[in-house]
Amino acid sequence: MALVALGLTIVFGLLGFVNFAHGAIFTAGAYGGWVVYTKTDSFVLGIIAALATTFVLGIVIERLLIRSYYNRPPEDQILVTFGLAIVIVETIRAIFTGQTQMFNTPAWGNGVINVAGIFYPQYRLEVIGVVAVTLLAIYLLIYKTKIGLIVRAGIDDPLVVNLLGINVRRTFMFVFAMGAALAGLAGVFDSPLLAVNPDMGTDVLVQSFVVIVIGGVGSFGGAIVGGLIAGEIISLATAFIPDYSQALLYVAMALVLILRPQGLFGVVGRS
Amino acid sequence: MAVFLIIFPTLMALIGGDVTLASRVLILATFGLGVDLIFGFTGLLSFGQAAFYGTGGFVAGYLMLQHIVPNTLLALGIGTVAAALCGAVIGALSLRQVGVYFAMLTLAFGELFFFLENSPLRAFTVGESGLPGVPRATIPLGFTTIDCTSAIGTYTFIAVIYFLGYLLMRRIIASPFGRVLRAILENPERAAASGHDTLRYKLVAFTIAAAYAGIAGGLLGVFQGYMPPDAFGIDQSGEIIVVTVIGGAGTLIGPLVGAFVWIYLQHALQNVSAISGIWKLILGLIFVGLITGFRRGIVGGVVALVRARRKRTA
Repeated sequence: MALVALGLTIVFGLLGFVNFAHGAIFTAGAYGGWVVYTKTDSFVLGIIAALATTFVLGIVIERLLIRSYYNRPPEDQILVTFGLAIVIVETIRAIFTGQTQMFNTPAWGNGVINVAGIFYPQYRLEVIGVVAVTLLAIYLLIYKTKIGLIVRAGIDDPLVVNLLGINVRRTFMFVFAMGAALAGLAGVFDSPLLAVNPDMGTDVLVQSFVVIVIGGVGSFGGAIVGGLIAGEIISLATAFIPDYSQALLYVAMALVLILRPQGLFGVVGRS
Repeated sequence: MAVFLIIFPTLMALIGGDVTLASRVLILATFGLGVDLIFGFTGLLSFGQAAFYGTGGFVAGYLMLQHIVPNTLLALGIGTVAAALCGAVIGALSLRQVGVYFAMLTLAFGELFFFLENSPLRAFTVGESGLPGVPRATIPLGFTTIDCTSAIGTYTFIAVIYFLGYLLMRRIIASPFGRVLRAILENPERAAASGHDTLRYKLVAFTIAAAYAGIAGGLLGVFQGYMPPDAFGIDQSGEIIVVTVIGGAGTLIGPLVGAFVWIYLQHALQNVSAISGIWKLILGLIFVGLITGFRRGIVGGVVALVRARRKRTA
């Protein structure tokens, strides 16, 4: 959950670009992973395939379409990515039919683990581990490396960075593709939990918006904490009042919004 | 417009459609009028309009089905008011944010309604199976009676409602209220600086749009004799935006044109077996192309073309 929201918040927070096609890219990643995984029986190859599919997809749509939208009003960006989402999802449907496909949990993920008296499926714990490592890696990449420095500088003042002889456009493309790849990664990891079908990305997109609103837009920590809170709400509510589990999530969002419009970790400003 | 509505079913028949298709177009166009008011004229992009469409439809449908309110017009009215009330509440919460956040919030609220309809309110809405058997009543208007049991009767009823809705919307747009809305669209800061309470204007506009969605939802129930749970779905919210934008947001007949293109192409493409599976893909591509090329939709594009022509000849 946090992974999807993070991809979205990176593109949005860094590029100031909202991507309504994020859910569709998530789905594309899931399908990319599923195809390779069922063919080769190797989950690792599946992950690589998902990453590659969505990274390339990210580059293609950034070059063809998104690039000319950076300077247009946010409403246009929403509309065009929304249209793009339709195109991606329907392309997937045309290729793979609308049928729901089973995505088996890899062998190393079967079984349960006893954590302080509560039994967790082993796969979920492993995914949490992978997510944590990925988040750390992304954080280091953006805030501690030279590439991250260029990215952040390029967003702050594209003109000056360009004058320094750095290709800002390529940097933007890289950031966008990275956001897409994060969605793809989340897609392949979520697949054994969700089952694969063309519409799987829709709920994910909406939920990651909720995560971002709760956590605060453009905030790295916010996306993580928001993701954890949202995950907790859903699992607790499912355990005690299943009928309201999804609804409660949105109630929580409304509450955050009323009490603290900028989100728990957000900074005021940007509109 | 009145003339057009009278000959519309005939035109539809000429190009391979029928009265039912014409009715669908007008229901969607009524829904779109509201979206046009908030997006085309005020600049608010809401992704949660299905919440009001569904609310209007289910409230009206439930009242008629349970014989609580046997009068169709009254039931539709109550459904519309219920949708408007929901619109006022959601608007009050969502309008605290602008731009992208507003879109995200309305999207999330739309989903909230969808889940409420599907689980906690299942007793009323029958969850995933929807409300079958919404009566197609005859509607006594005093001087005449509209018989909604026939396709043409239903069309007449829907056309009358759309026409009234259209006239009302034209009045709203031309009123001082409508002018302030357009001022907000062009420059929110300046509108606020001119002493207008922009939040209140936006809230009223949002509520009106919800009412339009509500009555359209109610009409859908009467028209189909069935209220589908999809009316609450996120796809419905997306569809109405696509429809409005394809037709031309910010023009009064835009939603009608968009609804026609959407429904007719869907109908026509589905009949061609080679591409029946990908009609939505084709419409998606058209949509992306239009936003990139013709920001003001089909109607806006035509208007711009005509103007350019005139300039050249003048």
